[in-house]
Amino acid sequence: MNNRRNFGLVLGLAPLILALCVLMGPSGIGLPDLDLQRDILGLRLSRVLAGFIIGAALSCSGVVFQAVLRNPLAEPYVLGVSSGAGLGAALAILTGFAGAFTTALPLCAFLMAVCTLAIVYSLSSHSSTPSLYGLILSGVIVSSVCSSLLMFIVSATSLEGMHNILWWMLGNLDMPSDQVLGLSAVLVTAGCAGLWLMARELNALTLGHQMAHHLGIRVKAAILTALLLATLLAATAVGVAGLIGFVGLMVPHIMRRLVGSDHRHLIPAAAIGGGAFLAVCDALARTVMPVEIPVGVITALLGGPFFLVLLKRRRTPGWIG
Amino acid sequence: MTTAIQLHQVTAGYHDTPVLHNLSLEIKAGEMIGILGPNGAGKSTLFSVLSGLLRPSSGTVKLNGIDVHRMPPAERARTIAVVPQELDVPVPYTVEEIVMMGRISAIGRFSSPNDEDRLRVERALVYTDATDIRHRPLNELSGGERQRAIVAMVLAQDPRIILMDEATSHLDLNHRLEIMQLVERLNRDDGVTVLMISHDLQIAAEFSRRLILLDHGTVVADGTPSAVLTEDTLRRVYHCDVRVHQDPHSGGISILAAPRLPAPGSGKGIHVHTLGGGGCGESILRRLTLCGYTLTSGVLNHGDKDAEVAGALGTATVLEKPFCPISREALDEARHLARNAHALVLAPVPFGSGNLANLDLLDEALAAGKPVFIAVGIETRDYTRNRDAVARVNALLTRGATLFQDVADLIPLLPTC
Repeated sequence: MNNRRNFGLVLGLAPLILALCVLMGPSGIGLPDLDLQRDILGLRLSRVLAGFIIGAALSCSGVVFQAVLRNPLAEPYVLGVSSGAGLGAALAILTGFAGAFTTALPLCAFLMAVCTLAIVYSLSSHSSTPSLYGLILSGVIVSSVCSSLLMFIVSATSLEGMHNILWWMLGNLDMPSDQVLGLSAVLVTAGCAGLWLMARELNALTLGHQMAHHLGIRVKAAILTALLLATLLAATAVGVAGLIGFVGLMVPHIMRRLVGSDHRHLIPAAAIGGGAFLAVCDALARTVMPVEIPVGVITALLGGPFFLVLLKRRRTPGWIG
Repeated sequence: MTTAIQLHQVTAGYHDTPVLHNLSLEIKAGEMIGILGPNGAGKSTLFSVLSGLLRPSSGTVKLNGIDVHRMPPAERARTIAVVPQELDVPVPYTVEEIVMMGRISAIGRFSSPNDEDRLRVERALVYTDATDIRHRPLNELSGGERQRAIVAMVLAQDPRIILMDEATSHLDLNHRLEIMQLVERLNRDDGVTVLMISHDLQIAAEFSRRLILLDHGTVVADGTPSAVLTEDTLRRVYHCDVRVHQDPHSGGISILAAPRLPAPGSGKGIHVHTLGGGGCGESILRRLTLCGYTLTSGVLNHGDKDAEVAGALGTATVLEKPFCPISREALDEARHLARNAHALVLAPVPFGSGNLANLDLLDEALAAGKPVFIAVGIETRDYTRNRDAVARVNALLTRGATLFQDVADLIPLLPTC
């Protein structure tokens, strides 16, 4: 089976790609001199690891949002995580709280992202089962309110503050500290593992709420848990790395084509494939130009055309994959 | 035989609007039952209640003696399964993956499908003749193949009760029979209880030994096909004439809908004056217009529902100012219209002191020897102080006016060219 072979390919190629990424850096391509530049190697390693973790978080979360919301355009930011986190980061930068301790900025962004989600959920779940359209709609509304607030803050702030906020929003895989990296690694691993264990629920939910119910799934609990875990992943990613677009939308679609739609394979494939993809994008962001370009630019530039080719060539009539 | 399904005084609906009213039902294990009824009769709501999707506002639903809402989901999935009318699958699952979904509740969270799961999937694929499409994505298949795959999924689920919710209505005749024969075999060989909603009365009659006819959320008829599918019952429930024939050789029942509406245009040249109001005359106006009768109407109040319908249908209508009692001028105008009519029809309109004057028109028509038709049930619609309307209508009836039930009743009574 093609799917099986591709799954093996994704798992096998990922370590290779990650190793290659370690060899790339602004100080040159190739292994740094281990005696003189041990620190550089450490920096590169942590950078690649950060790319892998954030990429895995975003693509896993994208897979789940697309499956549960049954919508091909769903992505980790669809319920307003991004704008909420952006608002939190902006507030932290403006008030100077960001400089209080190393984890202050990601913490603020993460907390605001979670708050936004709590608001979106409570807005949409007036009936017994949360309505999917209600979720998407209130996500869009809450997100635009947050964006306007953010815009207002940016316009009212000093030039330096504006630059900081903008730079944060462009996305950046530079970890403020190893603790942040470690903590996010734990959160992301836990989230992805949890979602992987929910693979059968996710499979059933893509057939619709009613069919999932008939197949013996606790629909309400499954939807809530899946969305909460996916949100945790997205909030972690946004909190530590800012807004990196496209990974969470595109990698799930690509992986679905490669390994099929069964979430028992799709979740690990998306985690590993998405992680490798973002690590590569980040390696390119650091090396192709004399100055570092925001990694979000690379993901969109690389992913966009690739995705369009996939869309053009697709044969299946379903809207996902 | 044991009881598979037991509904006890179930009332259920959506947003406080009950669809099922105090419904009690008992179905034995191994029965094959057709659920019939017009749109909105509560068939799908009944299935939602049975499958545990919808919690009834009162009453109990028991499957194999256990309350469906107390069952753990996995046990419920082993007990009851649903074949929907169609399944919208947004991701390109293959048929095999879809069929494996039937085993979802049987496979543990920490394990993958074992030999028994694989065997059941294989058997379901063979049973439904879906082995050669097993690797094809579901959403690339034709309607018949797709429905076969979904039936296979339900087979893999291995339930004791199967609900078929118009499962064959999108299929052509050949595939419809094929799916039905498949389900019949399951019922016969494995003793699976089957309930099917169908708008195809003939197929329902052919494949079920018991039919349950629902209307307005209650059971109207329950019994063998020949006991339930009588012309009388169907006419009452579906509001249209049918001819039921039982083939003397095969015993098969065939049902022909004989439209009670005469052919369009059959009313050409006949002028009917209608008296309605408040929306009660709407269907009369609509269907008489469809038959080509020349209609006039009034006196109605401006802004009244019937007045709007009459306006939309291009019916000449005499209008009075909103909420005003009928004036002498308006009545004279209506009298003028009614004078040219071949017959007068009184819709089931409520009467108050304001519109009582309309009955004058009927008096005069009877005096002129014209046929007058009056909707039944004036007793329930008379809001005049001394029940004048009842008295006057009864007087009209003794003088030769004719009662009618509904518009389908009315049309054969109307004069012809």
